Amino acid sequence: MGKIKKKGVAGNASNFITRTQAVRKLQISLPDFRRLCIFKGIYPREPRNKKKANKGSTASTTFYYTKDIQWLLHEPLVQQFREHKIFSKKLTRALGRGDFSEAKRLEALHKPRIKLDHIIRERYPSFIDAIRDLDDALCTIFLFANLPANRDIPASTIATCARLANEFQQWVIRKRALRRSFLSIKGIYYEAEIKGQSVLWLVPYKFAQHVPAEVDFRIMLTFLEWYTTLMGFVLFKLYTLEGLVYPPKFDKALDEQGAGLRAILLEAKKIGQLEAGAAAATPTRDITRPLETLEEKIKQVEEEEKVRRLTGQAEEEDAAAAEANTDDVEQVNEGLDKFTPIVAKDGTTGDILPQPTDDDTNSKTMNMFADFTVFLSRETPREALEFILRSFGCKRIGWDAVLGEGAFTTDDSNPAITHQIVDRPPLAPPAPAADGGDTEMAGGAAAARGKVLGRIYVQPQYIWDCVNAGRVLRPDAYAQGAELPPHLSPWDKSKPGQYDPTAPVEDNGDSEEEEDVEEEEDVSMVTNGENGLDDNDEDSEEEDSEEEEGSGEEDSDEDEEDEDEEDEWAGFDDEEARGIAVPSDDEASDDDDLRHQRELEAEAAGRTVSTSTAAKKSSAKRKAEKAQKAREEELDRQKAMMTKKKRKLYERMEFGNKKRQEEKERLESKRRKIEREKRKSKN
Amino acid sequence: MAPSASTRKRSRAAVEAEKPATSDDEFEIPEINDDDSSEDEDPSTSDEQSEDDEELSSEDEEGDEDDEDIHSDEVPSEDERLPKANGHVNGDASDEQSSAEGLDDDVKIVTGADGNPRYIYPEIDPVYDSDDTDAEETNTIGNIPLEYYENYPHIGYDINGKRIMRPAAGKALDTLLDSIELPKGWTGLLDKNSGAALNLTAEELEIVKKLQRSEITDDGYDPYPDMVEYFTNTVEQMPLSSAPEPKRRFIPSKHEQKRVMKIVKGIREGRIIPRKLQSEEADRPEFYDAWADDAPPKPGHIMNIPAPKLPPPTYDESYIPPPEYLPDEKERKAWEEQDPEDREKNYLPRTHKALRLVPGYKESINERFQRSLDLYLAPRVRRNKLNIDPASLLPTLPPPEELKPFPSTCAAVYRGHEGRVRSVAADPTGLWVATGGDDGTVRVWEIFTGRQVWKLKASSDEAVDSVTWRPTAEGRILAAACGNEILLVVPPIFDPEEESKSKELLSAGFGYAANKQQQQGKKEAPGTWSKPDSDLEEDGVVVTITVRKTVKYIAWHRRGDYFVTVSPDDVRRAVCIHRVSTHSSQTPIKQKSVTKGIPQRVQFHPSKPLLFVATKRYIRIYDLARGELDKTLKPGARWISSIDIHPQGDNLIVGSYDKRLLWHDLDLSTRPYRTLRYHDKGIRAVAFHHGNFPLFCSSSDDGTVQVFHGRVYGDLMENASIVPVKALKGHKVTSHLGVLDVDWHPKQPWLFSAGADGTARFWN
Repeated sequence: MGKIKKKGVAGNASNFITRTQAVRKLQISLPDFRRLCIFKGIYPREPRNKKKANKGSTASTTFYYTKDIQWLLHEPLVQQFREHKIFSKKLTRALGRGDFSEAKRLEALHKPRIKLDHIIRERYPSFIDAIRDLDDALCTIFLFANLPANRDIPASTIATCARLANEFQQWVIRKRALRRSFLSIKGIYYEAEIKGQSVLWLVPYKFAQHVPAEVDFRIMLTFLEWYTTLMGFVLFKLYTLEGLVYPPKFDKALDEQGAGLRAILLEAKKIGQLEAGAAAATPTRDITRPLETLEEKIKQVEEEEKVRRLTGQAEEEDAAAAEANTDDVEQVNEGLDKFTPIVAKDGTTGDILPQPTDDDTNSKTMNMFADFTVFLSRETPREALEFILRSFGCKRIGWDAVLGEGAFTTDDSNPAITHQIVDRPPLAPPAPAADGGDTEMAGGAAAARGKVLGRIYVQPQYIWDCVNAGRVLRPDAYAQGAELPPHLSPWDKSKPGQYDPTAPVEDNGDSEEEEDVEEEEDVSMVTNGENGLDDNDEDSEEEDSEEEEGSGEEDSDEDEEDEDEEDEWAGFDDEEARGIAVPSDDEASDDDDLRHQRELEAEAAGRTVSTSTAAKKSSAKRKAEKAQKAREEELDRQKAMMTKKKRKLYERMEFGNKKRQEEKERLESKRRKIEREKRKSKN
Repeated sequence: MAPSASTRKRSRAAVEAEKPATSDDEFEIPEINDDDSSEDEDPSTSDEQSEDDEELSSEDEEGDEDDEDIHSDEVPSEDERLPKANGHVNGDASDEQSSAEGLDDDVKIVTGADGNPRYIYPEIDPVYDSDDTDAEETNTIGNIPLEYYENYPHIGYDINGKRIMRPAAGKALDTLLDSIELPKGWTGLLDKNSGAALNLTAEELEIVKKLQRSEITDDGYDPYPDMVEYFTNTVEQMPLSSAPEPKRRFIPSKHEQKRVMKIVKGIREGRIIPRKLQSEEADRPEFYDAWADDAPPKPGHIMNIPAPKLPPPTYDESYIPPPEYLPDEKERKAWEEQDPEDREKNYLPRTHKALRLVPGYKESINERFQRSLDLYLAPRVRRNKLNIDPASLLPTLPPPEELKPFPSTCAAVYRGHEGRVRSVAADPTGLWVATGGDDGTVRVWEIFTGRQVWKLKASSDEAVDSVTWRPTAEGRILAAACGNEILLVVPPIFDPEEESKSKELLSAGFGYAANKQQQQGKKEAPGTWSKPDSDLEEDGVVVTITVRKTVKYIAWHRRGDYFVTVSPDDVRRAVCIHRVSTHSSQTPIKQKSVTKGIPQRVQFHPSKPLLFVATKRYIRIYDLARGELDKTLKPGARWISSIDIHPQGDNLIVGSYDKRLLWHDLDLSTRPYRTLRYHDKGIRAVAFHHGNFPLFCSSSDDGTVQVFHGRVYGDLMENASIVPVKALKGHKVTSHLGVLDVDWHPKQPWLFSAGADGTARFWN
């Protein structure tokens, strides 16, 4: 006989602790506890058995893991919070007495500064861990960088965020780490690859943000404090790995003129500057301390800079490159060497190991805009375009003077410009779609529309689609004023069984449908003409899949389960077809029209319209119905024999699948409708 | 003056040296002295004065002859002789003086005892003016109490060593006089020094009196003078002076100055840096290489769940999504009407002609805020996602082909009954089917054609609740329960030989019964066996058994000799076993009350001597051989409607009015092995196929008959597999009643059902 176990000393009862208990145990206030949790990354848990964890009560409470709280007890931050409490008492007393000088003195000298660096290492033992957690940090920092300062958010915080954001972007540009990007209604998504980890962040559009009243900025700022610290350390590491000095030079004057990214000047580390602190200290001093006495010299320097900015081609870049010349050499050395197997005397070689090729294609992709000289019209989002263009190798970006400093050229008539990004409707009515290529445009007409010859005018989406496609696309579809093709998320990879907007939808399985498909292909050629190879690939894939489906139906009798699925598919398709044919009279008339047209076409082609098709169809339909019925019966039978638990699970799964299926059908039917209308309007 | 003083000293010393020598003499004559001294003080003093002079002169004359001096002193009568002696001595001395020095005439030179001249100087008269007279004669005895001198005439000595004589004590008369006339200031005390009466002056007396009253003796001292108010008790409202405290009154603190100097020193030495403001640079966190050691990523703690990343944007979030993602009016409306929390996505897809037309997203901050809340407030749970094909969960059932044959279609409908058809039974030969209905008729139909071949009007007012065929190969006997009568019929549809055989079999018992009755006599049997009416006999009825209450169900034993009936109304004799060969009835289970439940159905075990009695809730299995209860099954149903036993005898199905069909494995447990619940209404009848087919069915008030494939394996380890195969629909539900009875064809997988709609059906 085992020992009788006492209640409430082991298991759920002792592993979990409610929030109130935790706060009491730590002897701090609830807001401090919240801060602590945010900094330390402590989050509530869901006990297996709430009743046991809460001493028999089933009231809904937040539970923490007891060991987490125990761990917090030893946190130096707790002591710092207490010190801060003392300080705030002193401060309020001084303020209450109206002793403002004392308050100022306290604020300046005795305000405890909370340092979080020890937590960085604790939460992220390795650098990769930190990068994995960078998504939220980047999103928050970029959001705050675009917010206006107000009572809740001090201007210095926003400045810090903006600086960190720019520093990060500079690093991404330099490292060519940007992979994909997406224009969403929420903002612009970017995905970068850092140390093999993909990091996704959202940058809101440059608009005054709506600040909802229910947002508690204390929480947001606590997160921000943590994120800025994390970001600083991560950037330091990234810059150091790149052989750059962190923090980089920050040109205040340029920044005030709206230079954005250009205000941050990367600087290669000198050999002597091993110590990070020293490296950080020197450049800032150089920048901030003006040589007041040598005003002329300053002027001279400024002039030089101006000249450089005007004439030089992404001067900073080059300068950085020049400075980091040694780095480049190293990089070349760092690259993989080619291992060629040595042929033995008897003509045999060893096993040839697959070697990661120094991907030419990759570097090509990364520098796809290298030959471009781009000019941004004043209505385009400069920051986003500059960032994305530079991340993909574009060195010469000019823009309208109103967009800020740091442009390669502000003169839109510069003959070096190869591409101009415009986002406004053309002045004159657009030329017919046939002559999409602006290069071949008649000079007079172009000039009349305020265009410069010898350059390509594209809409901003072109850049994003190129980036996501991984190569330079044909600019036809993105010409000024053209109706843009849908912009698709590069991450949304539809799983099998889900709707895929890139794949064509089949209509009813008749000759009519074939026709439809043909037509559709035509359409796609027009719209996604530049997709070229890819499209073909997809098409072939689709064909394959279709074939598979067909074969599945053929050998349906062999495997029951497979048959089930496949049959279901077929069945649904049929149903759907019926569903389309049945619901509205309009559509029925549509069908009639189509049949009539088909007859006419057949007549024209000299074929005889097989009148039996309808009969065949109906018989097939009946057969399908019968099969469907049989399947349903079988399913009912099987379900009847399942245990309750399994049946519930099955039904849940079926529910999800059905929902997905319905969603897919909904989208497909919508698309068919749209395409039909399009065709109609074309005819 | 100095020599005079020294001589005085010397002379005193000489006097004192003489004292002890003279004392002996004095004691000898006290009384005389007493008399002398008591005469008067004043004369004595004057005497002494003169004596002093004489003494001085005598001393000058003879230093050695002190004895004589003293004697002369003592005896005043001898005073006269003294000057003689002195004169003689003086004469000698003056001779020597004048011869030796010739200093003074008064100096007498006397030859001393050693033979040397001795200068005797004359007594110096200090010539005290009036002072001398004032000088009080003081007693020199000091602290010696006065009573020591009580016996002497003197009371002490003066400064010159002369006796101070006791003043003469007054005579009685004097004292009387004194008492009559008290001198002024008389106290009655004696002065210590003088021995005289101590008189006090008026002032002195006053002082003494004041002292006695413990008053201050000073004249004119006022112990209670009027108070002078330097400070008042009234609080002044206004300051006496409004001038601020002048700085000259400030005294700087020395301690503070010390501390200040310490700080000053520290500042001078550079130890203390005043106002080290934390500049912006110092404010910013210092960054360094936190991951300098390049630790490899550790596998996370099992309890640590990293926050899930936000899902990447989907197609419909694009600023130009594919047109099919755009919501139409209906969807938009539905989305807007939804509660924000219920929405699947917090945005509606929308399209824009150009990038410049994309507005700012309103929810940016809110979304980030929600994410922040999720990060620190939402409990994280690891959820296992089943990534399996749902089809894999489905059990693999034998394909329908394997389950075949089973009845699936309605092959014939037997119409003819008026009212409900209560019971249906297939003939063991498989050619006929008998039905009994509410109209009180028993009908026999040809299976395939649905032709009614025979009809018996058993009763005009009672319904035929149950019909069953005797389950043996020979003897075509149909048992029908109509009211409280059980009719054993041989329908005239068989060939005559067989018919007569059957009738013989039934009527054989009449003789036996008669004998028995004779033997037993009184005891009333539960059932009376009798010959029917002549018209009934014509119709083929051979025996009628009358029991007390309405018989609801009849079940035959497999051998066909016994059958058991249930009449639930008769509580004590509900179950009644009848024996055909002896025409006898008995009630093996005698219940005293309804506590154990009213029997609903009974059934014989197909091979063992067991009787299954189903009450409302339980099924009791009685061992007939031993005559005791063997087992009680608890199906868990509320109201059992029917039971049937598998032909192999180890399994049992129970139908209940609470819609459940329960499969009991008798070897397994008293609880059901499977509970099947596919009927919408209560189950009326259940039946196993008693031929070679593993089929069973249940009929219900929902108008369906459900057919199951229930295979029982010979292996004990393997549980029975039950597969639903068919739901036969055809009977109409009339007044909430559906299919009331079912029976299987004895050899074929065919099914007969009796419906409340007045028809019986044949399914194959």
